[in-house]
Amino acid sequence: MMSKKTGRRTRSLVTARRGPSVLMIVGIVVVLLFAGAVGFGVYRAQHQSAAAAGAVPTNAIATGVPVGQASAPNTIDIYLDFQCPVCREYEQQSGATLDGLISSGTAKVVYHPVAFLDRYSSTQYSTRSSAAAGCAAQAGVFPQYVKLLYANQPPENGNGLPESQLISLGQQAGAGGNFAACVSANTFAGWTAALTDAASKGGVDATPTVQVNGKQIDNSDAALRQAVQAAK
Amino acid sequence: MTTVETVAIQHRPAWTWLSTLGRLVLATVWIAAGVSKITDLDASVRAVRAYRILPEIAAQAVGAGLPAVELLLGALLLVGAGVRAGAVVSAALLAVYMVGIASAWVRGLQIDCGCFGGGGALAAGTRPTYGWELTRDGALLVLTLLLARWPVGHFAVDGMLAGRREENGR
Repeated sequence: MMSKKTGRRTRSLVTARRGPSVLMIVGIVVVLLFAGAVGFGVYRAQHQSAAAAGAVPTNAIATGVPVGQASAPNTIDIYLDFQCPVCREYEQQSGATLDGLISSGTAKVVYHPVAFLDRYSSTQYSTRSSAAAGCAAQAGVFPQYVKLLYANQPPENGNGLPESQLISLGQQAGAGGNFAACVSANTFAGWTAALTDAASKGGVDATPTVQVNGKQIDNSDAALRQAVQAAK
Repeated sequence: MTTVETVAIQHRPAWTWLSTLGRLVLATVWIAAGVSKITDLDASVRAVRAYRILPEIAAQAVGAGLPAVELLLGALLLVGAGVRAGAVVSAALLAVYMVGIASAWVRGLQIDCGCFGGGGALAAGTRPTYGWELTRDGALLVLTLLLARWPVGHFAVDGMLAGRREENGR
């Protein structure tokens, strides 16, 4: 198989004490670049099919779920991951403030349930919970569902919540109809992937990230109140 | 024939075993890094974006291309094919990684290096560990340079080819 000539070249390049193995390096770089190009091609193909299949839930937008009056003067963007303990703490800390701003018509909140932490569960819980939240948005119970998911947040590096519990929590939130089927089919996984990618492209690489009118603020309740106050 | 092979092996000094060990360590690191990334190319692209160095299309190409590159490089080193060239390419890659990490550190970014998957997002409540990441990559860089200087080891395709050449009587 291997010709004598090839063997000699390999030997002289490999065992030479000095001197460049330039040819070999170029060869390996070319092969590696080819492998990289294949990876890139696979990625692009995946994205094109995902974009084609990516349905957006009713009551949601391509990058998240808006809650509150569309005409509200302020927009608060919250990038969260249902697997992220600090996001749960943020909800416990500022949930009431946000609810107040929404109900008074001062602000609308756009929740971006990104899947950054898939590797912290054995079942890609970040993606599954986000896609299920898309089903909840479709069923019109997104805010309640967010609170229930946080209240039942599974520990990191565990198995995540099982599908049956994602469904029962939605029913507890008031979702009916085809909610169970929507979750089982992972219907909005493509939406989750797209909004996660959009967040990443927008420079968000940690959860929770909170922006008031497009400007990132500290994750404290005081900062949130102050930013909304200042915008008035 | 057997005599020639035996002589060839006996002529190899003790450092060839160290070289073999270093080569396998490097191969393991590349394969571990590649496997952890290739299972989630989206996360790999996010990790590259998080450095905020490359434009979007380049971040996609690097993020999606690197896992396959790392896996292949690891495989070549594992079987010992083109060890010196593989070590040189490894050194270049590691140097680029170190520049990226140092740049993230200098700019005060709060990211994970994404070296072994993870999409650049830090786990909850953790701080970046740039110092450790640079130390680790620096140690690996030293290893690659040593391997480039002394690439000849055991259980290597390179060695088998060289052995066959001696069999053929030069």
